[in-house]
Amino acid sequence: MIATMRYEFAMQIRRPSLWIVYGLAFAALVAVLPYWSLTGGSHGGNAVAGAMSRAAQLLVTMLAMVYGCMLADRPGRDRALRVDGILDATPSGRTARLAGKYAGVCAATAVPMALAYFGRAAAYAVAEGEPSALGWAAVTFAASTLPGLVFLGALGFAGPLLVPPMVFRVLFVAYWFWGNLIPAYLMPTLSHTIFSATGEYARYGLLAPLPDEYGRGPAAMFDVLRPGFTPAAAWLWMGVMVALAAALLVLVRLRLSRSES
Amino acid sequence: MRIDVSRLTKTYKDGTRALDDLSLVVPAGMYGLLGANGAGKTTLMRILAGLVTPTSGRVVIGGHDLATAEGRLAVQRTLGYLPQDLGVYPDLSARRFLDYIALLKGLHSRSRRRRRITELLELVALSDVADRRLKGFSGGMLRRVGIAQALLADPRLLIVDEPTTGLDPEERIRFRTLMSQLAGDRTVLLSTHIVDDVAQTCRSLAVLAKGRLAFQGSVRELVAHAHQRVWTVTTPGPAPAVGRVVAALPEGAGMRYRVVAPGPPDPLARPAEPTLEDGYLDLMDTGP
Ligand SMILES: Nc1ncnc2c1ncn2[C@@H]1O[C@H](COP(=O)(O)OP(=O)(O)OP(=O)(O)O)[C@@H](O)[C@H]1O
Ligand SMILES: [Mg+2]
Repeated sequence: MIATMRYEFAMQIRRPSLWIVYGLAFAALVAVLPYWSLTGGSHGGNAVAGAMSRAAQLLVTMLAMVYGCMLADRPGRDRALRVDGILDATPSGRTARLAGKYAGVCAATAVPMALAYFGRAAAYAVAEGEPSALGWAAVTFAASTLPGLVFLGALGFAGPLLVPPMVFRVLFVAYWFWGNLIPAYLMPTLSHTIFSATGEYARYGLLAPLPDEYGRGPAAMFDVLRPGFTPAAAWLWMGVMVALAAALLVLVRLRLSRSES
Repeated sequence: MRIDVSRLTKTYKDGTRALDDLSLVVPAGMYGLLGANGAGKTTLMRILAGLVTPTSGRVVIGGHDLATAEGRLAVQRTLGYLPQDLGVYPDLSARRFLDYIALLKGLHSRSRRRRRITELLELVALSDVADRRLKGFSGGMLRRVGIAQALLADPRLLIVDEPTTGLDPEERIRFRTLMSQLAGDRTVLLSTHIVDDVAQTCRSLAVLAKGRLAFQGSVRELVAHAHQRVWTVTTPGPAPAVGRVVAALPEGAGMRYRVVAPGPPDPLARPAEPTLEDGYLDLMDTGP
C-alpha cells in the first residue's frame, strides 16, 4: 500500500497537465473572485480566522472542480495501460493497492490547492503582520477543506468506473455547480446541506463567524439537511464526508472484483 | 513446483468457452505450451497467475490450491509473470518501474532491491537506458523490461506468455537460453507460436486446441508423431495435392517441397527427418 501510494503520488504530481489546469483555474480564481482582498466585510469575531475561512471558501469554490477532473483518469489507468496484469500477479493485494492509489493520487492532486491556499495565508500573514494566520490556515484547511477532498476523491474514483473519464469530468463540474454552489432556493439541490463538500459547516460551525451574506434564504427543499452552523453540525459534516468516501471506496473495490473476468 | 490442473473450464461472460475440461500436469523444469490463436493458452496462464477465476475445475501449484485466497497469495509470492499484452507506465523510467514492481513483490530492502534491479537490467541489456522514460522504448525493449520484471523476486514459478514476440533473433535466442538456464528445479511455463523455441529449450510440452488438451508429453514423442509422415518432393510441376506443404524452396528448374502427409504425396517423394514443427502440424491435421 505504501509503495503504491508513493508511486501513484509521484506519477500524478509530475503530470504537467495537473499544474497547467490548476494554474489556469487559479488565474480565474484571482481574476473573478476577491481572493486578494480577504479583509473586506466586518463580521466581528476573529478577523484572522474569518479571512482564512473566506480564503478556503473561495479556493474550494474554484479549484475543487480541477481536483475532481484531474483524478478522473487515474482509477482506470492501470487497465488502460495494461499494467494491471503485472500488478495483479504480485502478492500485493487489490484492496491495499486501491487504498494506496486513492491516498497517493488524492494527496498529489491536493498539493497545488494546498500551495495556493498556504501561499495566500503566508501573504496574509506578512501583509497584515499576523503570523497566527498560518496556524488558522492549517486548522481551517484540515477541518473544512480536507474532509471535502476526501469525499470528492472517492467520488472521482467511483464515477469513472461507470462512465468514461471525459463524461465524468463534465458530470462532475455540473455536479459541483448544482450540488455545492447554487443557492438552495433556486432548485432542489444539495448545496449548503451537510452533503455539500465545500466545508462551510466546519468553517462557520467551528472556526469563524458566519459572514453577513449567509443569512438564511427563503425556505428550500432539503432544508432538513441544513442544520444551523454549530460545532455539532461541523463534526457531523466531517463524519458524513468520511463515511460517504468510505462507502464509495467499498463500492469501487466490489466493482473491481466483479469486473475481473 | 508442480502444477496440477484438473478438469479446468473457463467460460467468459460473453459465452466464449476458452478452456474446456482441461487436465494437465506440469512438472518442474521448462515446459512448453503450444496452440493456435485462441486455443486458450493465455487464459490458462492468467488462471495460473491468479488473475482470472476459473468457471470450474481445480488448480494446485506446489501444494497450494488456487481456489483459496491463501493459496493464491502463496503462489503469487513465488511467481514471475510476463503477460502477453504487457503494459508499463510511460512516465516512469525502466529502473523506477522495476523498483515499483519489486516493492509490490515484497522486496522491502532498498539495497537488495537496487542490486537486483541493476543485475537484471544488465541481464536484459538495458543498463544504458535504465533511467530513460519508458515512453520512448521500442516494443522489443519493453518486452525486455517485462522479462526483467518477471524475474525480480527470484521466482520459483515463471509463467511467460509469448515472451519472444517482437524480439530480434539474437535477443530471442539469448532469452530462451536464459529461461532454460533458469529452469533447473524451477518451473517455467512458456507459451509461444515459435515452435523452434520449444524444441530448443523444453523437454516436454502440451498442445492446446480449442480449449482442450490435444497433446501432452515429451518433445520427442511429438516429433515421433510425424515419423514417416514427412516427405521431400522435388518437382518442376505444381505442389503435391495431398498433405500440407510446410516448406518450398526453389531448386534448379523446379521446387523442393517439404510435405507432411500420412503417405508419400508423390511417387518420387523421399521420407525426411521430422522436426517438432512437423509433429505439431501433423497433430493439428490429424488429431492425437
Ligand atoms: N476477456 C475475454 N473475454 C471474452 N473472451 C475472451 C477473453 N479473453 C479471451 N477470450 C476468448 O477466449 C479464447 C481463448 O483466448 P486466449 O487468449 O486464451 O487464446 P490464446 O491461446 O492465448 O491465443 P493467442 O495465441 O492468440 O494469444 C478466444 O476465443 C478468445 O477470443
Ligand atoms: Mg495468448
